[in-house]
Amino acid sequence: MNSIRSRLTLWYTVALGATVLAFGSALYFERRGSSIEELDVRLSLEADFVSQFLSQTYQVIGRLTEPDPRLPIEIPAAQRPRQLEATPRAFLDGVSTFLILTDRLGHLLYMTDTTGATRVRPIGGLGHAPLVLSEAAVTKLLTFAGPPIDQRSGTLSGDLVPGPIRYLVRRVDRAGPEVGALVVATSLANITFGPAQLLGSMLVILPVILLGSFAIGYLLAGASLRPLQGMSNELKAITDGRSLHRRLAVPPTGDELASLARSANQMIGRLEQSFDSLRRFSADASHELKTPLMILRAGVERALTNPETPADNLEELDRVLDEINRMNEMIDNLLTLARVDEGRAALVRQECDVRDLVTDLAETAEILADATSLRVSVSMPDEAVLLPVDASRMKQLLLNLVTNAIKYSPEGGTVSIRLADQNDVVTIAVHDTGMGIPAKDLPHIFDRFYRADVARSRTGERPGVGLGLAITKWIAEAHGGTITASSRPGRGTAFSVRIPRPPTADSSTED
Amino acid sequence: MKVLVVEDDQTVGQYVRRGLEEHGYNADWVDDGLEGMRLIGGGHYDLVVLDLRLPGMTGLEVVRTLRDRGTTIPILMLTAQDSVDFKVQALRAGADDYVTKPFAFEELLARLEALGRRPKELSSPVLEVDGLRLDTATRDVSRDGAAIELTPKEYTVLEYLMRHAGRVMSRTLITEYAWDYHFDPGTNVVDVVINRLRKKVDQGRQHRLIHTVRGVGYVVKT
Repeated sequence: MNSIRSRLTLWYTVALGATVLAFGSALYFERRGSSIEELDVRLSLEADFVSQFLSQTYQVIGRLTEPDPRLPIEIPAAQRPRQLEATPRAFLDGVSTFLILTDRLGHLLYMTDTTGATRVRPIGGLGHAPLVLSEAAVTKLLTFAGPPIDQRSGTLSGDLVPGPIRYLVRRVDRAGPEVGALVVATSLANITFGPAQLLGSMLVILPVILLGSFAIGYLLAGASLRPLQGMSNELKAITDGRSLHRRLAVPPTGDELASLARSANQMIGRLEQSFDSLRRFSADASHELKTPLMILRAGVERALTNPETPADNLEELDRVLDEINRMNEMIDNLLTLARVDEGRAALVRQECDVRDLVTDLAETAEILADATSLRVSVSMPDEAVLLPVDASRMKQLLLNLVTNAIKYSPEGGTVSIRLADQNDVVTIAVHDTGMGIPAKDLPHIFDRFYRADVARSRTGERPGVGLGLAITKWIAEAHGGTITASSRPGRGTAFSVRIPRPPTADSSTED
Repeated sequence: MKVLVVEDDQTVGQYVRRGLEEHGYNADWVDDGLEGMRLIGGGHYDLVVLDLRLPGMTGLEVVRTLRDRGTTIPILMLTAQDSVDFKVQALRAGADDYVTKPFAFEELLARLEALGRRPKELSSPVLEVDGLRLDTATRDVSRDGAAIELTPKEYTVLEYLMRHAGRVMSRTLITEYAWDYHFDPGTNVVDVVINRLRKKVDQGRQHRLIHTVRGVGYVVKT
């Protein structure tokens, strides 16, 4: 799958997931905060209610406490710890919230029965569960109630309590000298239930949302990228070198794709221009370089074939003619490669027996070898090797390989040319027993203008300009084939050209 | 046999015209496309050698116009462009053949001969130099009646020398005729072929026919 699509999908999903998470946590904390505020209001109301009751009871009865009857009788009354009298205690027992009442020194006067036996009264509204606190927790709450403060509220959590509790401490002034402060507390477990439920449902919903957004994102990304894919295919077809006159269709939407298409079209336009000028250049270069060569050649050839030309001059003239041919060959190779680059170098392929080409070459090879005391061996199948080829290019390829092999073989060596036809692949292999090509040069020998080592060839010969093998490679590839070279320094070099037979036995095809 | 050469460069035009006259043609030369059109239209010529780039009217336009008018005169085009594109264009326009510049005169001659308009008096298939006989139709070679077996390259080199019997042919001229001028052998292949030819043609004979011109080339003469 194309990577932009998956990346876009991923981003969609991540963005949506993050949004949902942020929204959820904002909701959670907001909900939690407002629940606590709401709870504080209730606790405060409860405290108001209790302290008002205590004040009024005190005003009516005149006292609220009595000495703790459970203590030994010997202790003097004034020193006896006191406890709430039965009447107000009975009333406070009826209060739904957890309550602690202290005297002005912080001693416990009353505490909601924490055994829980008598306190299974759920109250309306918040639906509090009965709060059961450990002694340590109560002690802790008593320290809050100890110093005479007006009012204080907070959350107590940790090891002391089974779950976080919310408490409110309030000083009670008008309930007699015995009463100090009032602590109302309730469990937070009840009110955190709301946000917790929110969190829970979010955990369930989030994967569903993410999965959905992944699917939607994937489809959306695919849909928005489809025109791009089409554009890319179209571009590929246009820039193959022959269709530069074509342009991309600009979608009528006027969106980014349209602007991309327009930019691409401008680029193709500029490409077309530069290709045109290149084309004109190579046509002009052909004309401008070859016309003077033709004129030179005409003059030299006339002089060379004129019986009245003195023999002394003939030698010079012949050398000039040779140079003209060299230069012509170089121009041809350069222009051919220029056309290859433009994608305009073409072959004229016609079915022929490759053996004829090899036979034709064999004599030349043998003559060349004779001049340098080399042996040439040629092997080819007995049956015709029919293949649609550009005969003149194929001859050029063979000649390049063989002259190379001969050029780089020491006297007494062997050059072998083998033609094979197997499984619809025609192989032409040229081996020599020359000095070989160093491993570092081997990958570059088909590069243009690459000359591994000028000193490699026998002395006294002019090296080429390094286009021969580049042209050879092009010829092999233009026939749909490959060329490979392998070499062992000191032992020799082997070039192998493999050309597959086109599937249809079409007698003349143009490439 | 009248040939019209339409070529804007004077040196090349004269070279082709003179060369053709030396080979028995009756040749005229003009350097302008429109003028060429006018002359060909007059119907006095049997063959046209037409350059691609011409003032007045390009070679392709000339060919197209002539063919549109139904003129069937054989046309050989000269071009500096060695691309398949051009060749296809020229042949589609109606040219019969083309030669790429710079060409050896022998090549031009061979193409014209192939167009079937070679003067009859020169078309004798047998070349003969003092008992050495070469039949270009059957490719048989003999000396004083004794057949000589030649390889293709040997035959081509001998044929070339016999065609120009009595004239010194330089190594480069022989090479480009027997191979083609794209071939840069690096070593002197002609010398090897001549040595072999000598063994077959001259060895054991008192009278030698293949002569070396030192530093230049070879000549076949009595």
